[in-house]
Amino acid sequence: MARDRRRFLRAAGAAGLATMAGCVGGFGEGGSETDAAVGMVYATGGTGDDSFNDMAQQGVQQADEEFDITYDEAEPESVGEFEGAQRDFAASGDYDLVSCIGFAQADALSGNAEEYPDQDFIIVDAAVESDNVRSYNFDEPAGSFLVGTLSALLTGTEFAAGNGETNPDESVVGFVGGEESPLIESFQAGFEAGVEHVDSSVEVLSSYVGDFNDTASGQETARSMYNDGADIVFHAAGRTGVGVFQAAEAEGRFAIGVDDDQSVSQEDYADVILASMVKRVDEAVFTAIESVINDEFEGGETERLGLEEDGVETVYGQSIGDQIPDEITEEVETTRQAIIDGEIEVPQEL
Amino acid sequence: MSSGLSRRTVLGAVGALAVLWLVAGLAFPDSWAGALLSIAASPSTHTAMLRLAVPIALAAIGGIFAEKSGVINIGIEGLLIVSAFSSIIVTFWLGSGGSTLALSHHWWGFAVGVLASTLFALIFAVVCIDFKADQIIAGLAVWLIALGLAPFASRIVFDSPNTAGVGRFQNVTVPILSEIPLLGYLLFDTPPQVYIMLGAAAAGWYLLNRTAFGRWVVASGENPKALDTAGVDVRRVRYAAVLLSGIFAGLGGAGFALGQLGTFAGGGETAIGGRGFIAIATYLFANYHPIGALGGSFLFAGLEAMQIQLQNLGYAVPTELIRTIPYATVIVVLVFVGKTQLPEAAGEPYDGDEE
Repeated sequence: MARDRRRFLRAAGAAGLATMAGCVGGFGEGGSETDAAVGMVYATGGTGDDSFNDMAQQGVQQADEEFDITYDEAEPESVGEFEGAQRDFAASGDYDLVSCIGFAQADALSGNAEEYPDQDFIIVDAAVESDNVRSYNFDEPAGSFLVGTLSALLTGTEFAAGNGETNPDESVVGFVGGEESPLIESFQAGFEAGVEHVDSSVEVLSSYVGDFNDTASGQETARSMYNDGADIVFHAAGRTGVGVFQAAEAEGRFAIGVDDDQSVSQEDYADVILASMVKRVDEAVFTAIESVINDEFEGGETERLGLEEDGVETVYGQSIGDQIPDEITEEVETTRQAIIDGEIEVPQEL
Repeated sequence: MSSGLSRRTVLGAVGALAVLWLVAGLAFPDSWAGALLSIAASPSTHTAMLRLAVPIALAAIGGIFAEKSGVINIGIEGLLIVSAFSSIIVTFWLGSGGSTLALSHHWWGFAVGVLASTLFALIFAVVCIDFKADQIIAGLAVWLIALGLAPFASRIVFDSPNTAGVGRFQNVTVPILSEIPLLGYLLFDTPPQVYIMLGAAAAGWYLLNRTAFGRWVVASGENPKALDTAGVDVRRVRYAAVLLSGIFAGLGGAGFALGQLGTFAGGGETAIGGRGFIAIATYLFANYHPIGALGGSFLFAGLEAMQIQLQNLGYAVPTELIRTIPYATVIVVLVFVGKTQLPEAAGEPYDGDEE
């Protein structure tokens, strides 16, 4: 009986998750009087995630302000719903562009792109080979390399700002990842290489929580790193990263945010957030819409948005970022230029 | 495998391994045994263990009462979610810095969190006890409803599945006593939810083992007919037990939310992330003993705290594998040590009118 129950629990849990079907957001009229009608298909998690999807939404909102466009949004809650959400937009024929946000949409899009050859698509964070799809990729390793450089430079310096201070006796920095995936591991690879580039004696603690929503474990992970002497912890862990900021706050150390300027989106922790590795998803979406309006949309290409294109950049924290010594920010800028010039090779994977 | 002998053998083997580890660790501090030992002995591991154990231990104690009375409540994960979310949102509405009627808004939020969990437990009780619904299905429903409701409500208020931050409880530091080695930082310099957990475990044990109500709960799960014959209303006992499970789980969820999380992430499996299900495993291998369940949650949370630090050491072991250590251990313990004696009438609705 007890064993049956446990087995049932497991099966039912899995089935429950699979059936937690959300509904696809409302579809409005794709008006034809405007310059362009855009369909947005967001990554699971939906808008309001304070990072990836919100950045994409900012891009379309910005386009809405500058041009005469209409847009509709779909927020699938599981990977299985992507195909239908994309098809709903494409099949209606009312949309000039369908934006697919997130690497998990790649499989669904390969099918739909073939089925609707006249529909223009973009996909962010993945590459889909098709004449009517433009793919946007970000150079996360290079962006992470720079914040790694920043961390390594700071950990050896005596530095206090906001609610944090470094411990000049210990040269340790940390990385907290969400789930192990090639994408997140490329953040880690870039970060570690950036630290190594400055000073190979600086120790990097790297750890994965296994979840993008587990704030408590994120906090305990970062706390353990700070207890082991880390001055600065960089995270690529979604909401789990909020725990990293909480730990920095509790231990009086620093953290580095990811995706958007987290000293703004997580304002409560602005006094420990040195900088954020920002990924300009909004730029990608905006330029794609702009190209559609100007009839310049070119499918079949993959655009890599790196440091040179400001696709990834180091944005210093709004509250304590300006207290970072100039020679350090200059060094980071020099490193950035060196990567752009090809003088530094950034590893793309672990 | 039904003898105390094999159990003793297992315990002996575990003890021998532990001694071996201790000796190896002390002799070779630089080896992995030594590193592991220093992690296990470090104060930060112990305090992390206490913090992480809170939702598991309290949910487990709640689950014990429900299941002992004959109502299997696998919805405690849902109760944790509901209480955590509502405590955060109420604190947010009241304003996280202030206080009303000399009680800080965190504690008002805490109270509402416990209340919300109890209300959910009441609905579950009505469905299971009066309407005789299948307890497993109803329990799953509690979880799934909570899993959908929290992010949904959050979206209405914050336009996001994640709530705003409301700050967290401060550590309670007892002067002088907190200077005592080991016990000082464990018991006298710790966040309030840890005291709630320890107090609730003691209260749960007393209630279940030393009071008339505790005996009724046990009888209602083992032989409800006899209890009925003795003139005690089985229905009322079961209601009380299920409501108690709501209160305990609510203390765990709200304490965890306001003491540790400070914000509620509603994406995926939410910030609770299956801790309620671990609680079920915990009380099963503690064979429904509240103090045992507390110990079980210490074991799980302690291993969790250790695996976090183990990853920092940077051994060439995949991090995915290191993370499974607490879960694998719980399974091993369940298989070898656990002698769960399911209450005779667990899962069966009691119909006093039959025959």
